[in-house]
Amino acid sequence: MNALRVIAAAFRLQLAITRRSPGHLMILLTSPLFSVIFLSLVVSGQRSGTLVNGVLAPGLIGLWLMSLDLAASIIEEERWAGRMELLVASLTPVSLVVFGRIGVVILAGALTFFESWLVAVVGFGADVPLERPGVFVVAILATCFAMAGTATLLAAVFIKSRALHVFQNALTYPFYILGGVLVPVALLPGWLEPLSRVIFLSWSADLLRGSMSGNLPDAWPAWIAMTIGLGAAALVAGFLLINRIIDQSRETAHVGHS
Amino acid sequence: MPAVVEIRELVRTYRTRRKAEETVALGGVTLTVDDSEVLGLLGPNGAGKTTLVKILSTVLLPTSGTARVLGKDLVSAPQTVRENVGVVFGGERGLYPRISARQNLAFWAALYRLDRRTAQNRCSELLERMGLADRADEPVETFSRGMKQRLHLARGLIHGPRILFLDEPTTGMDPVAARDFRALVRELRQEGRTVFLTTHDMAEAEALCDRVTLIDHGRLVLDEPTRHIGRYLDARECVDFTCDDPAVLAQVPELAFVESVEPRDGGHRALLREPADVARLLVWLIERGVLSARRSEPTLEDVYLRLIGTRAMSV
Ligand SMILES: Nc1ncnc2c1ncn2[C@@H]1O[C@H](COP(=O)(O)OP(=O)(O)OP(=O)(O)O)[C@@H](O)[C@H]1O
Ligand SMILES: [Mg+2]
Repeated sequence: MNALRVIAAAFRLQLAITRRSPGHLMILLTSPLFSVIFLSLVVSGQRSGTLVNGVLAPGLIGLWLMSLDLAASIIEEERWAGRMELLVASLTPVSLVVFGRIGVVILAGALTFFESWLVAVVGFGADVPLERPGVFVVAILATCFAMAGTATLLAAVFIKSRALHVFQNALTYPFYILGGVLVPVALLPGWLEPLSRVIFLSWSADLLRGSMSGNLPDAWPAWIAMTIGLGAAALVAGFLLINRIIDQSRETAHVGHS
Repeated sequence: MPAVVEIRELVRTYRTRRKAEETVALGGVTLTVDDSEVLGLLGPNGAGKTTLVKILSTVLLPTSGTARVLGKDLVSAPQTVRENVGVVFGGERGLYPRISARQNLAFWAALYRLDRRTAQNRCSELLERMGLADRADEPVETFSRGMKQRLHLARGLIHGPRILFLDEPTTGMDPVAARDFRALVRELRQEGRTVFLTTHDMAEAEALCDRVTLIDHGRLVLDEPTRHIGRYLDARECVDFTCDDPAVLAQVPELAFVESVEPRDGGHRALLREPADVARLLVWLIERGVLSARRSEPTLEDVYLRLIGTRAMSV
């Protein structure tokens, strides 16, 4: 009887906690997204693009997760290591340092594409096409730039936000879907398209797929431009925001909400 | 020629996030430094020394008041100030531990916009000067604390600043390392740089600083050339002695020409007004078998203890 009462008490306790911290219920948000992913894969199952997608998606997801991680930790790390003050006292804006450090890690992270290609070729004996290698390389570089620009913006947003982890989670699955990482945006319900077109990934993922399968529209340079343009916009916003956070820190003596 | 540093009524408060109340770290400090010299910034924990260093190195903004460095206002022209100011916070933090000393310096050289050639030369030169040349290409995490502190000094000097702020640079250094460090600071002054040095080591301040500034509770309590520091004590003559005979010891403070007696480094120190009193006390002590007595000078520590007193521990 006592045991039951303890369990009931714990149940009520957790109920109260969960009502205060809905982060625990993140799964309610992410599980419909899984449905979207699996249903799209089934719907598009027989199409030729599936193999290309299987190679690209892990690479893009890997790169994106890495960017999120880096964005969440880079400013915090400079602060904890006691370097933030020294950076502020130098002649260079902290934002440039943030972007530079993020950039290298992302370029190195682009090797995940090569890894997943290896898995497909060696592990599965698949015949992975690469019809337009030149476009592919340009697309990878544009993707890396846009990824670094976006991560710079996120670094600023994260340091400002009180609910970092919720934020970080919200930027995974919804992003893969809207960014056309798992299935091409064209296969998503039509009303999602305007939303997904402001995410650089939706352009660069289509580009990467197209350059591999050879299924590229003539307007592909415009897609490159969109990728770079959206990345640059994020970068500029990131620079402005980081510079503002640093200016505020000179007044308040602390960086963001940390 | 504008003053090297000119501070007027500088105030800095901190607002803690939870509590609504404000901490006043600096409560109106006025100070002018117009020569290349080594200036000792002294004061108990929480006095506001680091806050002052952070403001003068543009890391923090003042709440009110003004500060100029070489005539440039800290708030309106921070970039010009940054070109002329180097800052070193004590301790081991602030470096990139996984990379080498040379790579650390090269990074900071870039942040101070040195061109590649100048940066390379400056790095090698500083590593040599700090005695780090042999280990220059090893990861900083393998360095001892003293080595890290020297690397910090190199980092602070990378852009050849006119003014250098050193916040407790010798904490945790062994005596030899600290001595070498002091020799370096003297060299920097010879080169025409002004050094602000925060320290809790009175002997160090006395040995190194041309001038000492004492801050307590965010206010300037003293600002004086080191050699005139004794004038802050009424009794400027001292006799140090050790005495095992309690009867004799009890008599010393009762003597008419003795101002006071304080325990001091295992023995005692008697404070006297006139030089003639020194001879009288020495004779008096020797006649009673106290042979260890000798004349000494009041030190910075005496002045510090007198001015800050016992309050230091209550902050
Ligand atoms: N970031 C901060 N937020 C709130 N209060 C602060 C902050 N930094 C310093 N203070 C407060 O300001 C006062 C002065 O601190 P400061 O670090 O300047 O002293 P200090 O003289 O350098 O002391 P120490 O000898 O211990 O290094 C202290 O009361 C301290 O608690
Ligand atoms: Mg301090």
